[in-house]
Amino acid sequence: MKEAIALECHQVSHSFGEKKVLWDINLQVERGQFLSLVGPSGCGKSTLLRAIVGTHLPRKGEIRIDVEPNGYGKSSILRTVLESSPVRTVLESSVTRKVLKTLKLARDKPAAAPNSLARKTQIVRGPGRDRGIVYQHYSLFPFLTALENVALGLKLDETSMPYRLVFFQPWKRMRKEHLRLAEEYLERVKLADARHLYPHEMSGGMRQRVALAQTLIMKPQIILLDEPFGALDESTREDLQRLLLELYNQNQEARKNGRPPPYTLIIVTHELNEAIYVGDRLVGLSMYWNWKESGFATCPGATVIYDQPSPVFEPHEVREFERFEQQRQEVRHKVFDPEHLEPAARHITYWDERRNR
Amino acid sequence: MIRKAISKKTRFSLGFFSVLALLLGYTLLSDYQHRRNPKDTVIPNWGQLGEGVQKIVTPDRFGERWLLVDAQATGLRLFLGMTLAVALSLLIGIHMGCFPKFEALLYPSLSLLAKIPPTAAMAVLFVIAGRGYALHITVITFGVLPTMAMAVYLAVKSFPDELQFKAYTLGASHSEVVWTLLFRFVLPKLIETTRLTIGPAIVFLIASEVAFESSGFGYRIRLQYKLVAMDVIYPYLAVLAGFGFLIDHLLRRLERRLCPWSQHR
Repeated sequence: MKEAIALECHQVSHSFGEKKVLWDINLQVERGQFLSLVGPSGCGKSTLLRAIVGTHLPRKGEIRIDVEPNGYGKSSILRTVLESSPVRTVLESSVTRKVLKTLKLARDKPAAAPNSLARKTQIVRGPGRDRGIVYQHYSLFPFLTALENVALGLKLDETSMPYRLVFFQPWKRMRKEHLRLAEEYLERVKLADARHLYPHEMSGGMRQRVALAQTLIMKPQIILLDEPFGALDESTREDLQRLLLELYNQNQEARKNGRPPPYTLIIVTHELNEAIYVGDRLVGLSMYWNWKESGFATCPGATVIYDQPSPVFEPHEVREFERFEQQRQEVRHKVFDPEHLEPAARHITYWDERRNR
Repeated sequence: MIRKAISKKTRFSLGFFSVLALLLGYTLLSDYQHRRNPKDTVIPNWGQLGEGVQKIVTPDRFGERWLLVDAQATGLRLFLGMTLAVALSLLIGIHMGCFPKFEALLYPSLSLLAKIPPTAAMAVLFVIAGRGYALHITVITFGVLPTMAMAVYLAVKSFPDELQFKAYTLGASHSEVVWTLLFRFVLPKLIETTRLTIGPAIVFLIASEVAFESSGFGYRIRLQYKLVAMDVIYPYLAVLAGFGFLIDHLLRRLERRLCPWSQHR
């Protein structure tokens, strides 16, 4: 079944002054995909991810994101006043309608509500709540406990500072609900016991779990992971990889039941095994491609030179790297080898393979 | 081996011993002095010091208890001066840390001002701010603001970019990033800097009281110094030390209360 495109990089190029980093990146990420982005160090993986997060926009091209119009906005003071019952009674009374009608400010019948389910595509111009990010370091706010860290997004997204000050009581009730939900998410990443710990009291693995929960609770359109497990030891790393596979499992269950898959994910990693194990699609970014043949005098930057499906694992399965040994060798050779130069498009076969399946 | 841990008991008894040695040394010194001149007031003995304490806590002929009057005056001046310095340094430091234009604008002049000793600039401040509270508050602020603003600015700079970006992906507005996240991140640093600068602030305040005032600790010390009344001055110094301890303790408790996450305790 074909899903909507959650994110698209359209002719994205980037350079730092003279230094050319990215060249003509075209990438479509389907909803529910777990895309692993690999490449030799210095190829601009992180630059591309930063462009997607929106903190460092690309020089050329654009990143489009599929956004579901949000049903609720921030609870602002104005909204709360407008929605309070006395104000509503006045606004919706027949007298008001008549006045508005004579002033030609309102039509006879209320205009048909726009289809609230309609999706729309937005161009990324800065960081936003539709994209969640987990960094390798500094992923948690040091002055908040695990629970507060997870609940932070709900607080920032659903309320504003003046609202919290003026409507203290409703905010307190809302906060209770936020913390309850945050607790649920902490349980999901198996950290319910650590809810009152501060980040400096947690281990690296715990911190990344909390960071994951902090992102998941926002239900972002796409989850971005920037070397998320790079600083962890191997067994902790494996636990967290399994956690991601569990999320992928939920995607597949949703597909089976005809619902749209809830999680779309891009993981940037330098660990090839991790990339193949966690993702269902492997994208190789590299500056080692045959740009001379394309008519360039110097390398115009790294581009996508490998894009193929990768095997899907069940979370409870044994982690066997041998199963994808062949693919790993292939990627090692074609993406990471500076001596091996091929035309950029040769190994971009993901969508063809999807179509044929 | 160096830096080897010692037991609590050893630590306590050694500390106790050092204070005891200080008091004993003083007793011997004053005893020696009094044997040569029984009416000596430069190194008063414990009896004379007791009289001095009597003098500062009982009403004088105008009905004023010196200690009370002076503590009130000095305390209020210090409080007002430090409050202004904290507020201004927070404002300046956060703006400098958040906006490179502010940084470029204020950094040079701030580091220049930091090099001028406030006690030396007192004459200028006296002309500008006049007498009374305005002068003392100005002297304190002038003295500690550069250090404090710089500390806040550096703390803001040390806020990781990743956390800032993350805040935006969680739906924060600019003002929320500053006032609900950055502020909490900077707070322990601010309290710590206040703790460190309160010493210099007292120095500046006492100096300005010595020079220009008719109440407060500095004024009393100058007056009694002219009378060589060390029996009053020593208790005053002890009170000042206690004063410093108390403020430091309160600020430390405040930090523990407001920033339980902070690792510097």
